[in-house]
Amino acid sequence: MANPLPRTDAASDATLIAAWRDGDEQAAAELVGRHARPLARFLAGAGAPEADVDDLVQETFIRAFRSVDRFRGQCQFRTWLLTIGGNVLKDFGRRAARRKVLPLDDGVRDATGDPHEHAEASEAEALLAAGLQQLPRLQREVFLLRAQQGLEYEEIAAALATTPGAARVHYHHAVRRLKEIVA
Amino acid sequence: MNDEARLENLAKRLGAAAAERLDVATTARNVVERLREQPVRRALWLHQTWLRIAAALVIVLGGAVVASRLTPGRHPGVSAHAAHFVADDLGDLSAEELRAVLAAFDEMVGSNSVAVPEGSTDLRELDAHQLRAVLRSLEG
Repeated sequence: MANPLPRTDAASDATLIAAWRDGDEQAAAELVGRHARPLARFLAGAGAPEADVDDLVQETFIRAFRSVDRFRGQCQFRTWLLTIGGNVLKDFGRRAARRKVLPLDDGVRDATGDPHEHAEASEAEALLAAGLQQLPRLQREVFLLRAQQGLEYEEIAAALATTPGAARVHYHHAVRRLKEIVA
Repeated sequence: MNDEARLENLAKRLGAAAAERLDVATTARNVVERLREQPVRRALWLHQTWLRIAAALVIVLGGAVVASRLTPGRHPGVSAHAAHFVADDLGDLSAEELRAVLAAFDEMVGSNSVAVPEGSTDLRELDAHQLRAVLRSLEG
């Protein structure tokens, strides 16, 4: 393992990624520390069962670090990470469907989460969560990247290999459908 | 507040509880531990993959040699080329050279100049006389 580089809080993601590529495990740990919670929010918003969020977060980071050579700074590291999280969640849904536990799109979060948490959640949030599960995956992810994570269309487009215009269209389709569900 | 702004506010709260419950330090530790296991698995995967590639190359190049011996004069450049390749160490072949061998092999296999006796669907069903006829047709 390479010697850890001295770092400050201001060390950029790019610096940490470069350090990880050189074998610095502490750099990987620091990247996890920076981005784990936003990733967990994204995964939970996209339909991950609460009980599995931790595993899915870990799996996403593992997949990202193993394929970090494919990250060429086309977007922020966090955005790239979130898109990998979307793929991890999709694979999780497929495995769950094969095991015939519960298909992801049927709202596993409602069935497997803590009932007390659901009771505490507002009705509108529950409606939104259910509504998101009815959207096509791309619309759901664009909506979350924009509305939950606060990303610009250009950033979303770069991460999803589409155009800002297309990302905007996906977002507006999502909003239109969610308004009908939540309103 | 319009509907869109309301949706965005709701979306910002979505998953907040799950994120708060996440033990980030433990997650980071687990990720690093799992990453430590990665090089071993990757090396094993690479080893297996290279073995498969080497086996495939041996089969393809062996087929090329057989085909080139069966067709002297039909593709003089190619057969000489293939024999030359096989005589050398496989590791010395460039990608371009490998592609040339594969192309030549594909061409030979795909050729309709091989005279298979009428009614036969499998060369293994042929008797010695019929096989000789097939081989003669390959000589051109």
